[in-house]
Amino acid sequence: MTDTHIDREALSVLREVMEEGYPELLDTFLADSEIRLAELQKTADTKALSEVAHSFKGSASNMGAVRLAELCRELESGAKDKSPEEIVKLVAEISVEFAEVRPVYENEKHHAHMH
Amino acid sequence: MSVVTEVSQDGQKLTISVKGRFDFGRHQEFREAYERVDKKPGSIVVDLKDATYLDSSALGMLLLLRDHAGGDDSDVRVVNSNSDVRKILAISNFDKLFDIS
Amino acid sequence: MQAQEPLTILIAEDSAADRLLLSTIVRRQGHEVLTATNGAEALEVFRRQAPHLVLMDAMMPVMDGFEAARQIKALAGETLVPIIFLTSLTESEALARCLEAGGDDFLAKPYNQVILAAKIKAMDRLRRLQATVLQQRDLIAKHHDYLLNEQRVAKAVFDKVAHSGCLSAPNIRYLQSPYALFNGDLLLAAYTPAGDMHVLLGDFTGHGLPAAVGAMPLAEVFYGMTAKGYGLAETLREMNAKLKRILPVDMFCCATMLCLSFQRRTVEVWNGGMPDGYLHRIATGERVPLPARHLPLGVLNPQAFDDRTEVQAMTVGDRVFLLSDGVIDTTDADDRLFGVERLQQLFAANHEPDNLFAEIAQALHAFRGEPRDDVSMVEVSLLEAAHVVPPAPVYSDSGQSSPLDWSVSFEFRGATLKRFNPLPYLLQLLLEVHGLRTQGGAIYSVLAELYSNALEHGVLGLDSSLKRDAAGFARYYEMRNERLEALQDGYVRVHLQIKPQGAGGCLVIRVEDSGKGFDVARVMERPLDGVRLSGRGVSLIRQLGHNASWSDEGRSACVEFFWEG
Repeated sequence: MTDTHIDREALSVLREVMEEGYPELLDTFLADSEIRLAELQKTADTKALSEVAHSFKGSASNMGAVRLAELCRELESGAKDKSPEEIVKLVAEISVEFAEVRPVYENEKHHAHMH
Repeated sequence: MSVVTEVSQDGQKLTISVKGRFDFGRHQEFREAYERVDKKPGSIVVDLKDATYLDSSALGMLLLLRDHAGGDDSDVRVVNSNSDVRKILAISNFDKLFDIS
Repeated sequence: MQAQEPLTILIAEDSAADRLLLSTIVRRQGHEVLTATNGAEALEVFRRQAPHLVLMDAMMPVMDGFEAARQIKALAGETLVPIIFLTSLTESEALARCLEAGGDDFLAKPYNQVILAAKIKAMDRLRRLQATVLQQRDLIAKHHDYLLNEQRVAKAVFDKVAHSGCLSAPNIRYLQSPYALFNGDLLLAAYTPAGDMHVLLGDFTGHGLPAAVGAMPLAEVFYGMTAKGYGLAETLREMNAKLKRILPVDMFCCATMLCLSFQRRTVEVWNGGMPDGYLHRIATGERVPLPARHLPLGVLNPQAFDDRTEVQAMTVGDRVFLLSDGVIDTTDADDRLFGVERLQQLFAANHEPDNLFAEIAQALHAFRGEPRDDVSMVEVSLLEAAHVVPPAPVYSDSGQSSPLDWSVSFEFRGATLKRFNPLPYLLQLLLEVHGLRTQGGAIYSVLAELYSNALEHGVLGLDSSLKRDAAGFARYYEMRNERLEALQDGYVRVHLQIKPQGAGGCLVIRVEDSGKGFDVARVMERPLDGVRLSGRGVSLIRQLGHNASWSDEGRSACVEFFWEG
């Protein structure tokens, strides 16, 4: 399941690049993501939605969360065309996807400690 | 290359052909054409068949060539000049120093 | 492959995780990292720390990346500070907006560190290239300023040397750029002691200081010898020898030199390598070309130098027109030459001779648009001798050692007469007598006239009546050259005697020749102020000197000059 959601290759590159900074990166990503998710759920302004989705897409792709990034891209480009119901549905999907991949990143933190 | 040299079989005649504009830009090449020859030739021919233009620095280069080739004892011919080039050589009276045809 | 030099790189990215990741990547590549979380902060950090390169997120709060990029570029000015945009916009969109904002490249998310390193390296190379270009430009500008200053100094020195001339005489009109000298163009004019005028229009090969430097010794010879009374041939020989000696082999000076005599109404011409000059005869409208018959000055060694001149008769109002090849070579916007034909057309179209000069200057300007630096023209007219007033010469000695009681005799024989002109020497001798100095011009004119009569009519046997018209004139000078070349025997004697008289003194000049003499009585009958091409010499001598008399059947002439104390 994790293979289609997370690019393992990308994770190992991150691990190698960040070295001891890896846990901090993971924490920062998770913290940022929570904030963004909250914003998406809270706002109805299509411009704001688009901007936050754009930002989220960026870090998600950097972190190898490919499906999450794809969902955010959909929201970013579709925010002004979609109906409020469609938007709510998409935000929920994003939330679900984040919940899916979160444990992987949590796990990575422990991994890092063990090296 | 706008300056082309040719030496006869017996090394006695050096032909220097100048193509295009014979002006200050040709200075280095022209000098090397006669300085870089192994054996000093008995006669030198400057072929201007493809030369389109001649200015006072070219006249100066011809003087340097003549001086290098022995001054008054030199045998330097300037051949195949077109009418424009001929006119310039005529005004400067260079036919008094060089065999011009 | 050369190792990448460490740079200071500014990372402007609002997403914390992305900023952290990118900073780590960039630090690992050996660079120093500065960070900013929005456009305004980026600008502030740039102002304070001046990073070498900027990685800029496109979408940021407060001020977006594009605006920040524009402002950073403006602050950087001439210096290149590469800006790489970080973006996950679509490719073509990204490129367009980045370029518009002045960005140099972009990097897509997810960040690929290999690609990033390559882009940083490429941008850094451009940055260093730009820095080199600016440095070299500044160096060139500095050197150029030095050069301009050197030229200014050289020009000031030259102007002092050249100022002793008479270019402002009423019969001379000229056109010359103030920087003509630095294109090798030279224009000199000076009076001889007899009141004749020497004019030289020259064109040195090369430009700038080398051309200017050659002009100074030339000018000194010109002015020095002209003032002493040397003729065209001697002056040219000396100028040629000097240039041949001091200039490198490939440098020379094309020149046309004139001697205009108001008294004899002639112009003597020598043209070495210059475009045709023109003698314009006002009465007939005829324009006689004066083509180059000689090599330029500084080419031939003294033994081979040809000093033969051409002499043409002139009437009052006639003018000689000389031009440098900058006139003919003037090109228009399409690189077409002004050319000799156009010049001839202007000549033909001209109705008012006084306007010709201005008409040509105007036509050149219209043709070209802006003036060339090496266009030089001069027009010299023949005025009535009485209207020509040369300035009094200035002497540098104190006057205490003036010789007042002496005499000297010279005899110039055969072959010496061919080459040697004794007049300047004799004049210098006489000018040692201070009392005579104010009459230097008249004395020289009389001496010259006596000598040339003795030589041409006496020794060479030339008939002065040949000079009654222009054709005869040319024939006369041809024969003069022929007979002089062939001369073996004959002599001219010059006796000078200075005697004190009261508070002043008296100079007696006697000139004798070995010729056949002439009918003195008949010539003396002619009215004193008759204007004729031939036989005018006797009138002149009688007008300028005192007690002129001829004896020994015309072979001996005697004239006196007096001065008060």
